[in-house]
Amino acid sequence: MSSTENGDIKTKNDSEKPKEQFTSHELGKDHVEAPKYSCALGGAYGTALGVYGLVPLLHAGLGCGLGQLFGQLYAGGQNAGGPVGGTSTATTGLVEEHVIFGGEDKLRKLINASSEVYKDDKFVVISGCIPALIGDDVEAVIREYEDKLPIFHINAPGFNGNSYEGYELFFEALIDQILTPLPIEKGVVNILGVVPYQHIFWKGELLSIKKLLESIGLKANIIFTEPNGFEKLKELPAAEYNIVLSTWNGHRTAEKLQKKFGTPFISFPSVPLGPKQTSHFLRTVGEKLEVPSEKVEKFIEEEERRAYRFIEYTGDALLIVRPHSYFAVVADSNKAIAINKFLVNEMGYLPDIIQLTDNPPEEYRESIIEALTEDLISTTKPEVVFEPDAYLAREKLRDRPFQFLFASSLEANSSLPELGALHVTVAFPSFNRVVLGDSYAGYDGGLRLLEDYISTFAGPL
Amino acid sequence: MPNEYDPNHKIDLDKNTCPNREQRANGTNVYYGKATELIEDAKAGKTKCYDRELQQTSGCVLNFYLTVRVSTIRDAAIIYHGPLGCSSSSLGYREIFRSVPPELGREANFELNWITTNLQQSDVVYGASEKLKNAVLEAQRRYDPKAIFILTTCTSGVIGEDIEGAINEIQPEVKATIVPVHCEGVRSRLVQTGYDAFWHGVLKYLVKKPEKKQKDLVNVASMLSYTWQDRLEIKRLLEKLGLRVNFIPEFASVGQLEQLSEAAVTAPLCPTYTDYLSRGLEQEYGVPYFLYPSPVGIKNTNEWLRQIAKYTGKEEEVEALIKEETKIWAPKLAAIREKLINYKGDGERLEVLGSLGQGRLLSQLPYFDELGLKSSAALTQDFDNLILEDIESMVNDVGDFDILVNTFQAAEQGHITRSRDPDITLTCPFQGGAYKREKSVTRLHALRGDPDPWSTQNGYAGAIAFGEFIIQSLENKSFENVMKEKTDDSYKDSWYEQPNPLKYVNTESSK
Repeated sequence: MSSTENGDIKTKNDSEKPKEQFTSHELGKDHVEAPKYSCALGGAYGTALGVYGLVPLLHAGLGCGLGQLFGQLYAGGQNAGGPVGGTSTATTGLVEEHVIFGGEDKLRKLINASSEVYKDDKFVVISGCIPALIGDDVEAVIREYEDKLPIFHINAPGFNGNSYEGYELFFEALIDQILTPLPIEKGVVNILGVVPYQHIFWKGELLSIKKLLESIGLKANIIFTEPNGFEKLKELPAAEYNIVLSTWNGHRTAEKLQKKFGTPFISFPSVPLGPKQTSHFLRTVGEKLEVPSEKVEKFIEEEERRAYRFIEYTGDALLIVRPHSYFAVVADSNKAIAINKFLVNEMGYLPDIIQLTDNPPEEYRESIIEALTEDLISTTKPEVVFEPDAYLAREKLRDRPFQFLFASSLEANSSLPELGALHVTVAFPSFNRVVLGDSYAGYDGGLRLLEDYISTFAGPL
Repeated sequence: MPNEYDPNHKIDLDKNTCPNREQRANGTNVYYGKATELIEDAKAGKTKCYDRELQQTSGCVLNFYLTVRVSTIRDAAIIYHGPLGCSSSSLGYREIFRSVPPELGREANFELNWITTNLQQSDVVYGASEKLKNAVLEAQRRYDPKAIFILTTCTSGVIGEDIEGAINEIQPEVKATIVPVHCEGVRSRLVQTGYDAFWHGVLKYLVKKPEKKQKDLVNVASMLSYTWQDRLEIKRLLEKLGLRVNFIPEFASVGQLEQLSEAAVTAPLCPTYTDYLSRGLEQEYGVPYFLYPSPVGIKNTNEWLRQIAKYTGKEEEVEALIKEETKIWAPKLAAIREKLINYKGDGERLEVLGSLGQGRLLSQLPYFDELGLKSSAALTQDFDNLILEDIESMVNDVGDFDILVNTFQAAEQGHITRSRDPDITLTCPFQGGAYKREKSVTRLHALRGDPDPWSTQNGYAGAIAFGEFIIQSLENKSFENVMKEKTDDSYKDSWYEQPNPLKYVNTESSK
């Protein structure tokens, strides 16, 4: 099993199996309806666009960038491409003659022209399927620019992985090609595991985490959306700790940073949502980073008091209209874990079925199931399914008790008429929810989730 | 050697796919000059494709139109034979028409279906025809569709997948008609090749021999940038003539595609989008067609209706209809024109710069003229000889203008927008940072799922709605101004300061 694959474990004999024997994972690999992510190029591209000041150059077909504008950026919270994204993204635009004669010269010319025209002056070349298929020596081309330009290269053919893989490839390439050891700065942490656009609340989540950590005296390098993003990337080796906010995203990156620079990492199953998860997050980080516990506890106390005092305002609408309700989640692991824990452990809700759409590699699945089923206050436990296929996910939602569906916008229209459930868009793709700075992170994130889902049924009491 | 272009060329349905637009109609991806010069060059067979050293992503044969729209055919299933990223732009499939209320004539219940074969490293090495065949079986089992479209990708093309071979093997096992569409991104520089590739598959595999001719049926091929209200307006007008509309292919049923051969005429909304289909239907089934004009603006709507009437025996009725409609709409257009003509107050017309497809080039410029706007220049995605005669007659009507053919190149468009500084620029929805400016910005293209009468562009209602829309765009420029003032531009000042928007076209790279 390689975690670079889009699907699950596939043995050599899979194609000879009659189709009745396919499990959903194997279907996920062989033919999938509307998987809720794009390809490695899409993920690397989205990640690059999250680094302000970095100019992505796609060494790919003419439509790869435009396709990702629709399928990664619009889908990732209905966001336009920004100054260097969408149709403003440079590409070699490979066509048949390049397939025959190679695309290296085209790439060289593109780098030269881009460095003359774009205002930003740091570059990342992201190679897609075609250069990999025709055997372009992209590394050799990039080496020619080593002393001239800040530039690195990500080999991200779509047939080698999905968007989440693209995120890891981005950092692996960066670590290999750009990063050099730096003296450790006390109290500085890097935040990993939040994948731009795939995790639709990425901007707000990262900013919230940064502010939370600031409140206990720590400095978080969140990289994305920071001015001078390329400098932030280069500062990664200076951190005292890496904090990974996912059961699986960012883990390979954290391990590589540990191996190369010795930076230890702490991981949490998701971006913390609501008071309990957030307080736990702050205590754990505070302890590792040797923040005086009085400082941490004081902040937690103030924030919890405020958050729960505010949550109390939901009391009537919640208890009179939809108390202790069943809910289902169809989302990426990060979001599913956070929502499940909050609704079960703080809002008295009952988990019905949780379908994970992000196709995590096998080695992480047990820990994901644990995070979803252990330490739950309710006597009901959720059924957990890994299901990247949108059709099969829909089928598995039929005839179940859930009254709320926390999912992507794909489920939005059918949720109430077909499943009788109120729907909130919380995951990729999110075409019907524009996400700018919004998120469910932290104490306020819990309040935000309550606003979103209680508003689906709130009315005159 | 200049390529001879034959306007009466045949299409060959024995082939697996269409020729590229480059070959079929001398298509070009680069030009900047007078329209009259472009016409001369095109006539002389001198238009060519070029490489750009600074190329920006603008769509490919698959991922401009097909991924977002073929997946809206109602009782079909689409299989993308490629890595999963090629079809991620289809993720909007379950929402795209849902914003149209059923009260406006949208089918209440429908499912749209697509799957990807999700090609992996091992498939690239060992081939993936088994995977494709399994996907076909699975699509049949899951969705029971009337047709299964197989859309190819760069990867399936480069690794040499034998699509027809796989289809021949698997077709007997499935009820649905399998329709291969050869739309590998690498095959062509011109996205319009994708339209032809799609129609080729439709004509070859889906269109049935006519059982009976339906004298009151009008094929209208519509595309993404016209709205649901355009559909309603066209339906309203043709129904007044006692005609029925067969809107294809978006949100159509497979049955509607099958019966294309029975129609009385094929009418365009976008001529170069429709050309291959129209040509094929005439050649194979004797369905007449016309390509000019499109029903944009009052003058051209009149003419479009007259053309349809000619083929449906409604010549008398159409004159009555035009008279009746004109009485209602012409005064409204006159009021808009009055307002726009006097807007600047110095006797000069407002200058509008549109980002258009070549079909839109033909439809919009006469309409802008009708509105009292001036277009000394126009941007077009690409250009080919299919519209040669029509653009010539249009230039005779509205006068010469500068034309930039540039496949949505954002830096080039930004350069031209800044140097020409029109009063209004109509940016394509995907046009990145080109909207940061002092003067007005708005859009031309609306989208199919937009059900608001405000977004209508076709027919009489559209002529008025878009006119009002343009006026609104002049009334407040705070968004474009604030973005200009408060956010970064994409490019260095030196890019705008040097004079040549085509600086990075490699003139030695003609194809």
